[in-house]
Amino acid sequence: MDHITQQCITRTATLTSQAGALQHDLQKVMRCFGRQCRGQGKVFVTLLRQTETQLLEVGSSIATLAQQAHQALEKATHLSASTREHLASDLSAAQAAHQQISTQSRRLTQGKRLSHCKIVNAYDPTIAPILKGKSNCPAPCGRKSGIISEPTAGFIFATRVPVGNPSDASYVLPLVDKVQSAIECITAPLRLSIHSVAGDLGVNDPVLRQTLHANGILSVGIPKTVEPLNPQPSPEAILDLLNEAGLNRQRTPHQVQLACACGYSRPVVESHIASVLCRGAGQIRYKGPQGAVVQLGMTVMAHNGAAVVRIYQQRLSKRAQKFRRWLGLRRRHVNQIKSSKN
Amino acid sequence: MRLFRHLQHWLGGNGSRLQVADVVPHTHSIRQWADTFPWAPMVEAIERSFASRFPQRANGGRRPVSTRVLLALELLTHEVGASDEAICERLRTDLAVMYACGLEDVQLDSPQAHFVLPETLAQFRGRLDEALIDELLAIQAAAAMAEGLVSPAHLLIDTFPSEQGSQRVTDATTLYKAQKKSFNSWTTSHNSASPAPRR
Repeated sequence: MDHITQQCITRTATLTSQAGALQHDLQKVMRCFGRQCRGQGKVFVTLLRQTETQLLEVGSSIATLAQQAHQALEKATHLSASTREHLASDLSAAQAAHQQISTQSRRLTQGKRLSHCKIVNAYDPTIAPILKGKSNCPAPCGRKSGIISEPTAGFIFATRVPVGNPSDASYVLPLVDKVQSAIECITAPLRLSIHSVAGDLGVNDPVLRQTLHANGILSVGIPKTVEPLNPQPSPEAILDLLNEAGLNRQRTPHQVQLACACGYSRPVVESHIASVLCRGAGQIRYKGPQGAVVQLGMTVMAHNGAAVVRIYQQRLSKRAQKFRRWLGLRRRHVNQIKSSKN
Repeated sequence: MRLFRHLQHWLGGNGSRLQVADVVPHTHSIRQWADTFPWAPMVEAIERSFASRFPQRANGGRRPVSTRVLLALELLTHEVGASDEAICERLRTDLAVMYACGLEDVQLDSPQAHFVLPETLAQFRGRLDEALIDELLAIQAAAAMAEGLVSPAHLLIDTFPSEQGSQRVTDATTLYKAQKKSFNSWTTSHNSASPAPRR
């Protein structure tokens, strides 16, 4: 243990100075590219590969040192078993993190394309670059949150904050399951069910459609092409849609019409997202994946409270009011003050 | 009554009581917003989850701040866009915030120092997990559906990016940390310098 400590002390100074010099050089070059590193990508990648090679050389001895530390830890009998176990697990975690980062760096230096979920933060491997960035700008790094909402007042039923950056289609079934569990929470004798789900082209997946149809949910609101959906399909088209989904006996033509209208006006979800973003969901301030879940969940609950207030006060758009009438939702009067729940 | 018992160190004292619900108008935005939440089942879910995951080992010590107050404060931080410290400050003087936290009556002549500390709010937040957040959302959605306000018949799904931010070091946080550090060092030195108690 002493031997490793001595070795580490001597190497720490060297490594710190080397890393500092590299960082300084990198900052100098990055400054040439202007704001946010915009510039010729080719030059930047070349520089990045050179820097990565040097960093890999610097950190090449970490694996050997970690192995030695593991061996020394096994011999350290003066430490209690629980302490040794705790230290060994910490060491293994640090070793695994370094291995992941070095594998990614080697792939980059060899000119190969990186995998979908690359590590962008050594302290939080769950953060991923989001593909929804602006063009000609660096991709934002963080998390891709998913929401499922109703189309009238923008009440959000459930959220999902997965690790990394999975495809949009993978969000649908977990979110639908959460809504289903919320429906099951209702004690009153109401017969509520999910009739249809609408999404953008990113959700278009044949397997997902089949699963939704198997659960009795229409997928006509999910487009197959970039063309906008027909908000008022003909009776023949409705029959075709029902036959295609195999839901002739489960869903009515009126429900298909509503699903088409809902799919056509799907961009209204952007206003629900904007409402959540203006409450601070655009930047996760809490730590780690759990913090992200808590922040988004609390933001969405606050948003839902505001949405219910809007319903009570009838501060809804014409489209939303029309949709509520079609869905047979209750109309509240302005002077109908609800009793306090406190 | 339970809330009153939890907060009696602040609410206790002499003088006339102020009925919070009488002061905050019905049209106040925070009051209207707070009235939409099904507080009782949400608080029950949190207390059940905390009791199973963080069992109480000892019965001693001061009574904790009510879950109802902490939940309302946490939701209010997102609704009004305030920091933990700011919302805890507002709780001391803002009657609408008191109403949202479920306080029925207050005595304003009693001392109000350190009512709910921002650290307490952060600890409460640290205990929340994904399953509990999902349950709270499901309770809120179920309450809205049961009242006939919303329908789950036709749903929209979309994703949006959330950038991971960092807690920036501001002058206020630096000053706060420095004060805390100096206070801790002073307490340590004061304790070590003081003579040992007689047996």
